[in-house]
Amino acid sequence: MPSPVRPLCRRPLLPLARMAAWAGRRGAATILAVLVGGSVLPDWAPAARADEAPAGPSRGAGVSDETAATFQKRNGVVFQGWPQPKAVLVFTGELDGYIEPCGCTGKENQKGGLSRRRNFLGALAAAEWPVVALDLGDQVNRFGRQTEIKFGSIVDGLKAMQYAAVGFGPKDLRLPAEEVVAAVSAVGDTPTPFVCANVGLIGFDSGITPLHRVVEAGGLKIGITAVLGDAELAEIRNDLIATKPAAEALVEPAAALARAGCDHQVLLAFATPEETKKLAARYPQFDFVVTAGGAEEPPAQPEKLPPHRAAGNPPVDRHLLELGHKGMFAVVIGLFDDAALPIRSQRVPLDARWGEAEGMIRLLAGYQAQLETLGLTGLGLTPSRHPTGRRFAGSATCAECHKSSFEVWTNSGHANALTTLETQTPRRDGDPECLSCHVVGWAPQKFQPYEGGFMGVKATPHLAQQGCENCHGPAAAHASAERGQVRVPAADRERLRSELHLALDTPQAKQRVMNNCLECHDLDNSPQFDFDTYWPQVEHGEEPGAAAAAAAALE
Amino acid sequence: MDVRAPGSWSVVAVAVAVGGLVGVGNPLLRASTRPWRLGEFDPAGLQMQEGIAVPKVDAPSTQYAFGTMAEGAEETHKFVISNAGDAPLKITRGATSCSCTVSDFEAVEGGETDGEKLLPPGGAAELRLKWRGKTGGAFRQQATVFTNDPRRPEIVFVVEGFVVPVWKAEPKSIVLTSIPSQGGVKASSRIFTYGKEPPTVKEVSTPDSETSQFVSFTTAPLSAEEIARERGATGGVLLDVEILAGVPIGPLRKTILIDLLLPEIVRAEVTIEGTVAGDLALAGQGWDSSRQVLQLGTISGRTGTNTQVFITAKGAHRDAVHPVVRDVVPASMQVAVGEGKPVGSGAVMRFPLTITIPAGSAPCNHLGSSQAPAGRIVLDTGHPDSPTMTIPVSVAVGP
Repeated sequence: MPSPVRPLCRRPLLPLARMAAWAGRRGAATILAVLVGGSVLPDWAPAARADEAPAGPSRGAGVSDETAATFQKRNGVVFQGWPQPKAVLVFTGELDGYIEPCGCTGKENQKGGLSRRRNFLGALAAAEWPVVALDLGDQVNRFGRQTEIKFGSIVDGLKAMQYAAVGFGPKDLRLPAEEVVAAVSAVGDTPTPFVCANVGLIGFDSGITPLHRVVEAGGLKIGITAVLGDAELAEIRNDLIATKPAAEALVEPAAALARAGCDHQVLLAFATPEETKKLAARYPQFDFVVTAGGAEEPPAQPEKLPPHRAAGNPPVDRHLLELGHKGMFAVVIGLFDDAALPIRSQRVPLDARWGEAEGMIRLLAGYQAQLETLGLTGLGLTPSRHPTGRRFAGSATCAECHKSSFEVWTNSGHANALTTLETQTPRRDGDPECLSCHVVGWAPQKFQPYEGGFMGVKATPHLAQQGCENCHGPAAAHASAERGQVRVPAADRERLRSELHLALDTPQAKQRVMNNCLECHDLDNSPQFDFDTYWPQVEHGEEPGAAAAAAAALE
Repeated sequence: MDVRAPGSWSVVAVAVAVGGLVGVGNPLLRASTRPWRLGEFDPAGLQMQEGIAVPKVDAPSTQYAFGTMAEGAEETHKFVISNAGDAPLKITRGATSCSCTVSDFEAVEGGETDGEKLLPPGGAAELRLKWRGKTGGAFRQQATVFTNDPRRPEIVFVVEGFVVPVWKAEPKSIVLTSIPSQGGVKASSRIFTYGKEPPTVKEVSTPDSETSQFVSFTTAPLSAEEIARERGATGGVLLDVEILAGVPIGPLRKTILIDLLLPEIVRAEVTIEGTVAGDLALAGQGWDSSRQVLQLGTISGRTGTNTQVFITAKGAHRDAVHPVVRDVVPASMQVAVGEGKPVGSGAVMRFPLTITIPAGSAPCNHLGSSQAPAGRIVLDTGHPDSPTMTIPVSVAVGP
């Protein structure tokens, strides 16, 4: 794979006159020794080819050559040709609750997660790149006790990763203010990483989060503030949180940052790109402006904003940064002591090349342990009625008559769906966000049980695994009728049978079936899902009359 | 071994010769190898030697906007890569975005079809990027192609656009973070549709009946201005929701199903989520809402500690609240209640509670176990319905 090459000489050569005089003093042998074997020569070495290790950090600690190469090939090489930067700004955001990528279809196929992010930051630090880590906000995307616990765990992770500044997203601030305050507050002498100009937790004068922050890295002074866009503020219905319009709220921190003599100023704007550009135009002092929204993947290069032209100063380049969604990427801005190329950017896919960080795995284990301790009831999960109003029987009941179909199911991945959660490290079988697609009787996209659905292995062992009724519908009434446990007219018995029948014989019928599959095989958890490819793996059907004959034998 | 030092002129001559070579060569080499960024497709400075055949990739278009796509629809765009050089051009399919389908190279002229191929001078190949709009919203997908053209070793092809769904609720989930038990909280959701026909509401229902009597809802057509503000929308319905008095304290989750005639029946769904809370609450570092205990941990008796939390009061009686400390365990813990201040619009009053374990406090254990029961702060609140507030405190003071 060809690639740009690293610079051949990282240091300016000695001026000729100085070199000659120095040579005269030291002698030719010394010069030759220096030229041939000394410190200059390695800089003159042939340019690195693309198939050689890139110059910048390229993998997490302990990641094998093979893994690194696989993901460099799959998702691109990073930091090619980057010399040592003075400092790097690492931007993340819109984690949207994806504390780790789902492992349903192989975690290695997915990007994101705090563990990889930690190792990525570690790789930059190991390369002695001074890092300023900044997060836009929206750590979570749901509401309820599980989300509150997850928010606390993620914030603990950000603190452990020594984030310099973290903004708020609207979904963070939909959580109860008590929970947000408990998670983000300063601990002892360690200040909170959270910064926001137009959100005051329990009032602006509570002192819980500052309006702006100035940090130093690599000899550079970086000023940072954050705001929520006005449309995002409208989403927050929380009396304990005081807010101000973004443009108005930026007056004070912008003035403070201007006075602070920063080398670079960053605005983390959790707003639409349109609103962010308006804020950037009104406050041109910010040379890196981060916006929310946009597409799921960030663009390969940041958009250029009109340069800042302050009287008596040369124009300053400005950039608008999009970060994508779900924390799949980090966007890195490198700041260099190089007049020709003072700023470089790199979109970094947080894939398996960065490996797993032990500290973050422990944090995840703690999060899972909290979910397990609270249990489904403690997490406030109240079952809702299934749209059909019917109840579940369990796959073993189906097997009494539908023997050949059950055999297909038994040999499919669906039959081990819950087992895969139980055997993961840490185990995920207490996590409703995982359970919803791994047991019978849940609404997959709502992460909530239906009445009579799975409520734990002890209480409902017959509803473990991804069973028949998640596609065909709850079958308790049908099973009771076929067993003769309730007497029903023949027409009703036939109706109960037909309600569970799925057909693929018309485009509309097939679409209904596919839509049901997509409830779990969605873009997040099964990105390669294609019905026509997957269906043959679980294809089943009964010989005409076979099930009815078996049912007759039951009575 | 004796080494005879060379004469100064010899040294100068060698240095001048080497330096001259380096001095001339270095800027050239530096320019030719200057790192460049993706998207800079014409990095300056690389000068090919006369007479040496080189490949030259030509990809006039690397970005394509599909515009607006219907949900479930599939769009494909073909990008052309050709060899304008005079040596064979090797192109290799590289990284692609998750779930974006990328074709193998398809020959246009003078090439074969696979994931890696050699284009002769004048040859061309096509790369197709396909995207199926599974979910609504903006998308951007890309595919990388590597080449052996040293001036352009990597090309990123991008397709982007916006998938419009059949319907979309904004917000899809109405979150009412803190609902007073007196009710009176109102919210709304705008349900947009994107078909030819404007929607007609056929039926609105709630599948879970437990809390139905505490939620009322109405629907009305959205105004033309509101519809126009939503990209691609052709119609819409406004759903107004009100939480009524008497709603029980605890989590609230309710689903509202709206059957729309478009003219076929489509079921839109909006959820209401929130927590019905009492009028008095505690917030601050160390407050563990799961266990309902203020976690101060183990404090050194030599240094002591100082922390601040907040009592918040809302509801009709918030102005009557004036917390006064009645009892504290351990006795060495000092608690001071600060002045009440309104938060935001004034719907909530906030009282700072400064908790101090002074340096020199006697050792004790109130971490909260059968042997060491938790400490507490008991406050008289002034609230007519909740006159006393007890805050359990998990704390131990060491030597």
